[in-house]
Amino acid sequence: MPKVLFIDYERCIGCKSCVAACAELPSHRKKSRNYVVPLAPGVTTQTIPMTCFHCKDPACARVCPAGAISITALGTVLSADEEKCVGCRNCTLACPFGIPKFDFNENIMYKCDLCHERTGVGSAPMCASVCPAQTLQWVELDVAMAKRRSKIAAKIVGDFPVWGEDEVETRIVSAGSFGGTGVREETHHE
Amino acid sequence: MIITPNTPNLVRQGEDLIPTHCSFCGMQCAMHMRVDKATGQVVGVEPRYDFPVNGGRMCPKGVLAYQQINHHERILHPMIRKNGRLERATWDEALGLVAGKIRDVQAKYGKDAVGLYGGVSMTNEKCYVAGKFARVAVGTKNIDYNGRFCMSAAAGGAMKALGIDRGLFNPWTDVLQAEAIILAGSNTAECHPTAMAYIWEARDRGAKLIVIDPRKTPTARVADVHLQLKPGTDSALINGLLYVLIAEGLVDNEFIAQRTNGFDALRELILRDYAPEKVSEITGVPAALIFRAARMYGKAATGMVMYARGVEQQSKGVENVTDLINLMLATGKIGRPGCGGGTLTGQGNGQGGREHGQKADQLPGYRKIDDPAARAYVASVWGIKSDELPGPGQSAYELLQAMGEERNEVKMLFLYCSNPMVSAPNANEVDRFVANLDFMVVSDFFLSESAEKADVVLPAAVWAEDEGTTTNAEGRVIRINKAQEPLGEAKPDWWIMKELAKRLGRGEFFPYDNPRDIFAELRIASKGGPADYSGITYERIEAENGVFWPCPEGSTGMPRMFEERFGTKDGRANFHAVAYRPAAEVPDQDFPVYLTTGRVVFHYLSGAQTRRIPFLLEQCPEPYVEVHPILAGRLRLENGGKARLTTRRGDMVLTVRIAETIRPDTVFVPYHWGKDLAVNQLTNPALDPVCRMPEFKACAVRVAKEA
Repeated sequence: MPKVLFIDYERCIGCKSCVAACAELPSHRKKSRNYVVPLAPGVTTQTIPMTCFHCKDPACARVCPAGAISITALGTVLSADEEKCVGCRNCTLACPFGIPKFDFNENIMYKCDLCHERTGVGSAPMCASVCPAQTLQWVELDVAMAKRRSKIAAKIVGDFPVWGEDEVETRIVSAGSFGGTGVREETHHE
Repeated sequence: MIITPNTPNLVRQGEDLIPTHCSFCGMQCAMHMRVDKATGQVVGVEPRYDFPVNGGRMCPKGVLAYQQINHHERILHPMIRKNGRLERATWDEALGLVAGKIRDVQAKYGKDAVGLYGGVSMTNEKCYVAGKFARVAVGTKNIDYNGRFCMSAAAGGAMKALGIDRGLFNPWTDVLQAEAIILAGSNTAECHPTAMAYIWEARDRGAKLIVIDPRKTPTARVADVHLQLKPGTDSALINGLLYVLIAEGLVDNEFIAQRTNGFDALRELILRDYAPEKVSEITGVPAALIFRAARMYGKAATGMVMYARGVEQQSKGVENVTDLINLMLATGKIGRPGCGGGTLTGQGNGQGGREHGQKADQLPGYRKIDDPAARAYVASVWGIKSDELPGPGQSAYELLQAMGEERNEVKMLFLYCSNPMVSAPNANEVDRFVANLDFMVVSDFFLSESAEKADVVLPAAVWAEDEGTTTNAEGRVIRINKAQEPLGEAKPDWWIMKELAKRLGRGEFFPYDNPRDIFAELRIASKGGPADYSGITYERIEAENGVFWPCPEGSTGMPRMFEERFGTKDGRANFHAVAYRPAAEVPDQDFPVYLTTGRVVFHYLSGAQTRRIPFLLEQCPEPYVEVHPILAGRLRLENGGKARLTTRRGDMVLTVRIAETIRPDTVFVPYHWGKDLAVNQLTNPALDPVCRMPEFKACAVRVAKEA
């Protein structure tokens, strides 16, 4: 079973270890290809890791006039081939998530390649290797799907203040709950 | 854990991987150093998936720790101050000058006029040599170390309640079996990031998380219950939890009867004075949340209580710690799988470094220096007479005070592995104390705020340039391996002390060629003491992924403590009835707001190392003051604007960060910077009566808008 990147957003502590580690892979040429974004600074300490989603039909590759962005057999969308990239920056405009970035010194785009150099020898990407809170996990696809199902079942969005003995129930359900919660276990009803 | 231990590493052509551990916090995460075979220099880091504690995980400080090693600001040769400037010197000149000064100062002012001030980012071998060097080569009682500001309250509390002090009483894997976890005064997510994987995995299995902190930190954000108390009211809050446990019959009477002393006094005090409604008034925490948290922990079949500097860095740190241990003892949640807890060690070797003799009152093996039997044993190992051993010295802040003109007792200081100009409280006074010295020697690898003031600077090797052992937060003794030769003329601290001893005519007592020789002696010196390392060898550490102490010869080591007995004489744990008392300084009309201090994930201790690593500095280049929107509105403060903070000890200007995540009556400032940016200009040096820990976590401040 191939491994995939599983992201459990709630766990992100904003430490940017993934960003620091990404730049440590020599083939990444000291440029991080993932990002950590604060959700609402001053309101919550919640942060979100932003990595390439490795789309099935990636807009970046589709708009590349030089065919520089390859997709591996396992679906990893690679960074631009140095010899093919013409530096047009179409990909940086096309990606709905803003993942491809442009290196103006080298005149080439760069993006997450899931540490192709590492995963090719059975190792794990740097970001998921180091992530202290295991927000980013490198796991088999079926494990990821099972985790996703259990999260959907267990999580209810909200950050409820508790006054006296009152509890708040909600009916809104989401795959990834961004807020913390004071009363998570009591609010879940089948 | 997620990553499997057999995940292969990426090894590049022309490189070797040297397995070792991080230079920073007490997690002591395992990592590989990538070493270029051609140059012999460290060029990067590679995860170490096979080590059980962190399985490859690293925080950003860990990922980038290697960047200290060949850093352009490394001190490459000894320096002597001439005409006000530090100028290059040879080792022989520098060591000769230092030894001569030690002799002169001691001849003029007495043996104890020379002080030693160390740190616990050093290996066990170096810490051991430091303690021996002070007593045997210099002959001074005045040695202490920065752990006084870090672990001393946890140590004092554990000694009183449990009779022995090992950071965590359990291996990290026990957290996975806990059904309820209390984190008190710990921003685990930022200060021990790789521990969060254990907390989350426990939660995936259904565990509840309770966090006690005045701020909604990234740790508190995801808690099931966050008890957001006023700074310095911890013992009242814990007493409130104990009230619910006792009143609702959630205590383990059988455990209390069989394995503890002193419960009746605790019970009487708690039921008389600490009903949750009253506790709510003291702490500012709603009573409903106190009930909820206590029931969560009390009803769980297993549970752990872990704590850190938030409760410890107070003038009642020991009381807070003993009160948290009361929770474990009252519910019988200690000494079983998933039951126990303890302190989260701050410094890399905060555990081992407080066991082998560089603490003012201590000899190797966690022996007390005023215990005649301990003195006789250690003197025999060292080959001296026990009456040659000095008596107990004084705690770190008191040692600094002894340098000031009021007391004028310590005239020369040898400082290594520490940066008290940033890390000690009441920095303006510390400045004055240091200025009054006749002579200061600093051994470090960067020119820290403290090293800048030295008369002689000695270039120390960094952790990856020497081998040895450290002891992590769990009490697991692990191996630090040498990844490259020391840069320039740098030398390890044990070598520096050995060479100074030679010049003081005491060379015969330091016959070490390498750290292995020192560890061999440490094993014997610790034998029979509470922290017994005599059964631990470098080979065993490597074969077993570390060995837990106590480990007498023939023992397998002890991952989980207190399964059968406690470390006290009668083998029973002691309850302590802790009556709440406020912080030494509480807000009043002139200084109406609480000031609390702490850390950010991107920096370590005084920042001397992490402020020199570009990525880390970029993430958090300077300190700031975190203010709640309600308080900011009242004071007309703007996000990104400036505010002046004034306490009875000093004042400073900081950039304002408005955040709903802090209490409206409290402001927070991180402490990793020196000089004008040092929040320790403001902090209160009120000391804990037992352990002499200063009160970094609570004082009264006035906040005003600065144009």
